[in-house]
Amino acid sequence: MADRLQDDSDGGILQEVAQGIEYAMDHCISRYGGLVWSIAQRYVQDHSSAEDVVQETFTDLWKSAKRYDPAIATECTFIGMLARRRAIDFARKESRRPQLEPLPEGESLHHASVEPSAAVSCESEDVRAALKELPQETQQIFSLHFDEGMTHPEIAKKTGLPLGTVKTRLRRGLIEVRDRLRRLDGGQPFTSATS
Amino acid sequence: MSDQDILRRFEELEAGRILGDLDAEESKEWEELSKGSRCHMDLSLELTAAAIETEFLQSRDSVLPDKVLANLNEGKAQFITNEPDTETVVRPTLWLQLLSAPQTAWAIAALFAILFVAKSLVQGPTINSDPPVVIIPPSPEEARDQLLREASDLIESDFGGLERYDEMSGKVVWSDELQEGYMTLTNLPANDPAANQYQLWIVDPDRDEKPVDGGVFDIPTDGNTAIIPIRNPLAITKPQAFVITLEQPGGVVVSKQEVVVALAKAS
Repeated sequence: MADRLQDDSDGGILQEVAQGIEYAMDHCISRYGGLVWSIAQRYVQDHSSAEDVVQETFTDLWKSAKRYDPAIATECTFIGMLARRRAIDFARKESRRPQLEPLPEGESLHHASVEPSAAVSCESEDVRAALKELPQETQQIFSLHFDEGMTHPEIAKKTGLPLGTVKTRLRRGLIEVRDRLRRLDGGQPFTSATS
Repeated sequence: MSDQDILRRFEELEAGRILGDLDAEESKEWEELSKGSRCHMDLSLELTAAAIETEFLQSRDSVLPDKVLANLNEGKAQFITNEPDTETVVRPTLWLQLLSAPQTAWAIAALFAILFVAKSLVQGPTINSDPPVVIIPPSPEEARDQLLREASDLIESDFGGLERYDEMSGKVVWSDELQEGYMTLTNLPANDPAANQYQLWIVDPDRDEKPVDGGVFDIPTDGNTAIIPIRNPLAITKPQAFVITLEQPGGVVVSKQEVVVALAKAS
């Protein structure tokens, strides 16, 4: 269901970035620079470090664009994931978050996944629809975490919920949204951890 | 604990890892479980988290600071080859442009000519073989004239030169439907491509707040009239204005508009 993963703005620009075509790289910076900057600022407080996150994210992108598989995710989500990884890595240095595994070298995202369907539908309307199906309280927690960038203790303080409840609802909510997006993409839920 | 329980527990820990909220004990548990043959990671949870985050953050319209943008432009240089490989995938927008471009007719004609020659070779030599067909692509002037004849939604507007370019004149024609357009420019001073290049910007508020790149071009000699095809990498839906600036060689992603050469407002 690769076709549904590409919105009009995607247009396969990463395939041209992978070939080192300058205007495609310019387009990428122009289109996704603001998003990467937002993600960097969300995780990294220091302005100079946020600038480094953006620089390193795009360097990652120039190197790893050839591993992008449109059957797995939209370009926007792929770039968001690279930025998120890089930002979390910087934040980890401030002892705030754990390190994520680096992307495997020389393999496409599709091959990097062991299981049959890493693909989830990342179309905006599908993500919005999946979020709306979460319980109201979980939606609020998601908004505080993903939109306002609050930490778990900050969410617990604001909502009055126990910290453990915030943690559990975020984790289970993420799995639930993943399963809904995966169903929209035609995949099977709960297969990622099976052998 | 059943296999299903183990898998569910691993998923929950994996979600915690993606969200960055594993405590030391959970990290150890995750490491142990991930070594087991039953539990494998994939990217689906991480992609989901990225999709949710980008969904929330995309609407903020953040703009890169100039310093960061300059660093990115500098840093990308070592990765530029500008040589598409043999398996170049043409973007859908380019397909639309190609299918609607006047050159396409010539290309199809050339294809038929090649097929005809190939068929002749397979069938063996013929006594009365025709001379080889030479395909000449249309000039910018011919392509523009064809657009003028065929476009049903043509936008036409006159360029006015600004400041030291006030002697230039010109016209722009554009078709939303065909995603094709041309500028006819007269008395625009010749540029040295090694020092600077002209760049067209298309103001299309329906598409983006910022002007969209319409391509870099050169004027080789003073005083002549040049016909320049518009090269828009992004689809244009409702252009409000066309602006020519003078930029560094290769053009820029975002113009500082230090040298605005000419402006044409779409009527």
